[in-house]
Amino acid sequence: MSDLEVRDLTRVFSTGGTSRRAVDGVSFTASSGLLTGFVGGNGAGKTTTMRMIMGVLAITNGEVRFGGVPVTRHDRREFGYMPEERGLYPKQPVLEQLVYLARLRGIAAPVARREVLEHLDRLGLADRSKDHVEKLSLGNQQRVQIVAAIMGQPKALVLDEPFSGLDPAAVDTMVDLLREHTRRGVPVLFSSHQLDLVERLCERLVILGGGKVLANGTPDDLRSQGVTRHRLVLSGDAGFVRGVPGVLAVDVDGPSALVEVHDDAAAGRLLSAALERGAVKEFSPVRPTLAQIYREVTA
Amino acid sequence: MSRNGNRMSRNEAAGAGRRGDGASNAWMIVATREIVVRALNKGFLIGLAVTVAMIGGLIGFTAYLDGRTQSFDVAVVASDESASTALESAAAEAASDDQKIELSVVRVDSAAAAETALDEETADAWLSSAAAAGADGWTLSGWREPDGELTQLIETTVRDQVLAGHAVDAGTTMDALTAGSEVETERLDGNPVDPQIVFVAGFVLAFLFFMGTVGSGAMIAGSVIEEKQSRLVEIIATAVPLRQLLAGKIIGSSVIALGQNLLLAAVGLVGASFTDLSAILPAMTTTMLWFVVFFTVGFVAVAALYAVAGSLASRTEDLQYTTSPLMMLLMGVYVVTFSADGMLERVLSYIPPASIVSMPVRVLNGDALWWEPLVSLLVLVVTTLGALLLAERAYRGALMQTGGRVTWKTALAAERGTTLGA
Repeated sequence: MSDLEVRDLTRVFSTGGTSRRAVDGVSFTASSGLLTGFVGGNGAGKTTTMRMIMGVLAITNGEVRFGGVPVTRHDRREFGYMPEERGLYPKQPVLEQLVYLARLRGIAAPVARREVLEHLDRLGLADRSKDHVEKLSLGNQQRVQIVAAIMGQPKALVLDEPFSGLDPAAVDTMVDLLREHTRRGVPVLFSSHQLDLVERLCERLVILGGGKVLANGTPDDLRSQGVTRHRLVLSGDAGFVRGVPGVLAVDVDGPSALVEVHDDAAAGRLLSAALERGAVKEFSPVRPTLAQIYREVTA
Repeated sequence: MSRNGNRMSRNEAAGAGRRGDGASNAWMIVATREIVVRALNKGFLIGLAVTVAMIGGLIGFTAYLDGRTQSFDVAVVASDESASTALESAAAEAASDDQKIELSVVRVDSAAAAETALDEETADAWLSSAAAAGADGWTLSGWREPDGELTQLIETTVRDQVLAGHAVDAGTTMDALTAGSEVETERLDGNPVDPQIVFVAGFVLAFLFFMGTVGSGAMIAGSVIEEKQSRLVEIIATAVPLRQLLAGKIIGSSVIALGQNLLLAAVGLVGASFTDLSAILPAMTTTMLWFVVFFTVGFVAVAALYAVAGSLASRTEDLQYTTSPLMMLLMGVYVVTFSADGMLERVLSYIPPASIVSMPVRVLNGDALWWEPLVSLLVLVVTTLGALLLAERAYRGALMQTGGRVTWKTALAAERGTTLGA
């Protein structure tokens, strides 16, 4: 299986006299067999990037590569895609329209039917297969949409906000499904606003802001790039830390303080000052959460 | 390895070597869906059933009026011999000549009894001659004004009877008197079809055109915006070329529109065969066939333009704006073609889409030379091809543009997605 690679991807929207670079020289790789999380605020360029990857939107500059060569329409035909906005044919039964979409992707009707039924069964929708989509709850419509993307053993998955609107149990089922595909060696790229979810799931993370890649790597890489904070817990009051040179007190609460220490010498000064005042119960590094990193890189 | 096994079994089941092969017949899958969804749509079926019932009812009513035999009971005073004789020959005339009128003679005793019969409605009219009183003149009485056709029949019979009497008095015969007086009618335009019928046919064709184009046009526009609004089209576009999606939609809705018109035309023609129109059925059938051919070609263009109208919208609510220019055009064709005649009709019969209605009408009224429909059809085919090319470009340009209505201009100028073409 192959990597999905984006090189220097740029999209300029021009309306009237003004032009806007929605995506500006974005490069990253969604590696084969890994879940890559695509994070960024509204208007960061996630959806535009994904639409260019899928060929739905013309590329102004740059290229999309799959398996080391420029992506073709035949490759894309075998990509599973979930667009930004949800919707299927509201007045057509679930099974019927999923089979229709599968057939458009070149899967024979009986094979498509069997596979769709299998997926619906796993997502607990087997008994709803003959219902019209509009009769389903939003969460269930979302599941149907996921089936539309993952049927036919896709070569890559590009999913725009696949988890929005799902309850935690449904998220877990969905993640299991996606893991099956990464196990096959498929690259999975998905965007999300839910940072805790991305942190828990992803092997790779791409943070986008203002149309540019702000950070790119494994969650551990990203965390280690940030300034490490330390928690200090004393027997007495910790207010003195504000006066120690080279130490930034982030938060002080009675005997406990959260500090940023700029170098080892500052750490030594902090500890000896603390020991002069009594017992040190705790002095430990606090790993930043992705949310912190996200705030830092997008600030 | 198991992955490969999986792939193999799917391909075997598909009966195709590679999955990419599916793209070549994607338009068929799309067209089939359009047809099935439409054919199962309750609103569509009910509308069609109502139209068929209306046509059937109209024809049935006409046939009933044409074919119905009116019967009249006409009273006569038994002693009034001239009136009795006149009524009997009138009854015989009615019976012999397929006059769609039946006359039975009711003999009563007196004038008073005749009046009572009229009052009690046991008789529809009462014929009396003044001959009994030794005078000239006849009276046909009714409680109200006697029926026109009955009056005409009795007038003719009475006139013949009186004339025959006068002829005998003058020593000659009726035949001698009326010899050489027959007037025959002849039309020199060589066309067996009544202009009145041509007018009605023009109206019917214009109506079929309007119904078929607007109804099925709205369907294709709706189906396009449904996919655009839900972004379903983005999923479809990655699977099949947009050109095939458009082709499938046009073909699907054309099949529906054509089927609907064939059904209505068949109901109309079969119905017409039960009415007085049966005499001109061959001419009407030829006209209908021309209409079906013209409509089939022209509808492809209309459907393509409606697909663009759908793609220009960003929500279903926008459709009424994006489809209104087309709606105006079709409405204009409807209004102008069914009332056009003379030079205007001749010109319209070459200008698409008006030619779809005007040329078949000219064929019906015998005005068109044999090659004229063929030339007009050629013009229509060329126009349709042009409209298809234009529509395909605009459709692809507008379909992926989200956020607000798109104009024809921006749609045609738009850069298309990298892989969405052929």
